[in-house]
Amino acid sequence: MRPLRHLSLTDALGIGLILCVAVLSLLLLVAPSIIVVMISFDTRAFVSFPPEGFTFRWYAKVFEQGELVDAMLNSLQVGLTVTLLCVLLGVPTALACARGRFRGTTALSVFVLVPHMVPGIVLGVAVLFAGALVGVSPSIWLQSVAISVFILAVMVRTVQSRLVRLDPALEEAAANLRATPFQSLRTVTFPLLMPAILAGAVFTFVEGFDNLSVAIFTHGFRDRPLPVELLALVQYTSSPLVAAVSGVQIVLAIAALAAVSLSIGLDNVND
Amino acid sequence: MAEASAPPSLATRSLGERVADALLSGRGIWPAVPAIIVLTIVAVIPFIILLSLGFSDMEVSRGDIVSQTFSLEHLINALTDPLYWTTFQRSMTLALTTMTLCVFFGYPVAYLFLIGGRWTRRLILVLTIAPLLTSGIVRTYAWLVILGGRGVVNSTLMNLGLIDQPLRIMNTHWAVLIGMVQIHLPVMILPLIAVMSRHDSRLVEASANLGASRLGTLRSVILPLSVPGIGTGASLVFTLSYTTFVVPQLLGGGNYLNAATMIYEQVVYSLEWSKGSVSSMILMVTCLVVLVAIALVTNHFTRWTKGRDA
Repeated sequence: MRPLRHLSLTDALGIGLILCVAVLSLLLLVAPSIIVVMISFDTRAFVSFPPEGFTFRWYAKVFEQGELVDAMLNSLQVGLTVTLLCVLLGVPTALACARGRFRGTTALSVFVLVPHMVPGIVLGVAVLFAGALVGVSPSIWLQSVAISVFILAVMVRTVQSRLVRLDPALEEAAANLRATPFQSLRTVTFPLLMPAILAGAVFTFVEGFDNLSVAIFTHGFRDRPLPVELLALVQYTSSPLVAAVSGVQIVLAIAALAAVSLSIGLDNVND
Repeated sequence: MAEASAPPSLATRSLGERVADALLSGRGIWPAVPAIIVLTIVAVIPFIILLSLGFSDMEVSRGDIVSQTFSLEHLINALTDPLYWTTFQRSMTLALTTMTLCVFFGYPVAYLFLIGGRWTRRLILVLTIAPLLTSGIVRTYAWLVILGGRGVVNSTLMNLGLIDQPLRIMNTHWAVLIGMVQIHLPVMILPLIAVMSRHDSRLVEASANLGASRLGTLRSVILPLSVPGIGTGASLVFTLSYTTFVVPQLLGGGNYLNAATMIYEQVVYSLEWSKGSVSSMILMVTCLVVLVAIALVTNHFTRWTKGRDA
């Protein structure tokens, strides 16, 4: 063990200042959510701080309001469709990007990334216009497909980065044992990829559920997704109802986070 | 045992498996073909249509395009309209300020992550990732609660006797900026953390052994190594805050016009598609220019690791 180095005054002050800003930033990240959850139990019909009393009234009201429940179900459907499409399209694409031995693997990776680099609203507008020209009006399906295209890159990159780090010896061993490419994919590569696919699935689901930038132009007028409904609700109501919806979302977010950390471990999320 | 290790005879394999083998063995482009088709139909062709709408004069009758001729009229109209200039300028200033403040507030968190122990690191990860899983509207709503007339800030200041009347923070430029920074902070922190967790701790030890102070180590070892992370984070924050719709709409009141809210109004309310196309293109091009600039600056300041993981 090295002895602890003596800290000079400027050093202590500088590092102390940096750590203070760090703690402030972390508080800034978490405080708004805590305040919203506190507000959601307020007994009064207007938003004010500090809250008074304690009631589950607003939570009950969320599930009594037909539009909100419909919007949640719509978003759930979009989220699941987006996840399914991204798994079906993204995992094979990741295989081709990581393992392909054809010219243009880099071009393919870039091609997949482009829709994600374009601002969401531009993609939304483009899909809306193109749909209108060929007679496809905005609907829950147009919205799902557009968001899938927007978020596909995340799935491809998550799976691809895992594929690149897999030990090639495992697949060689499978080949030496005379496994066909399909067999080695199914019994060796796929189980090893599962955590990455799950992580990608969580993130694409969340995007499908929460996306506003693409959805606001492509959603069907009868079946509004939750973000669009919420936007209107926040603008035109001032009761803690929105806070209760937020509370529900925060609980779901914590569940999703727990799912990710159980499947691949939090420390790997970033890769 | 003998049965299990024997290779499956080709005859017993189904047609599907044989097709799958044929597709997979070549290591060809085939697995990516469905994605390429979908991306072409849902992204490439729509972008071409968007371009063609922006550069053409249309006659529309009963929802069908009767005639379409090439014209620069919409682009010229947009570029000579002072409203466009102020709107895009406002968006640009707001996005660049947000980006700078996110680096300022985000970097210390990444530094804490670097020097922190296992539980500090976990706490930082949870606090950073959890907000990304809740919707932007929910997070923006929190600021309505905090900054509103009867919100947290005003109640606290009034209870302390510092002010008599609620301050008007909502629906101002400041409310938008505060909301933007807080909402995009996680997007800045995550790439920084990714860089920090690949960090070789021996470098910091070496620096200390050579007599560098902690600030010195931060300035001449840690900071240069984390430049690629700053670049990635800054590009993400810039793109998101330059094209965001929610925060200006909710915290800026109805009349805070930025590029995204302008495009929304043109497309959804006034149905001016050519205008909307031109605005979208301007948004995309200006965004791209800034991203290239960020990439160039990042590349210029990237030391030692250039070409490896930058």
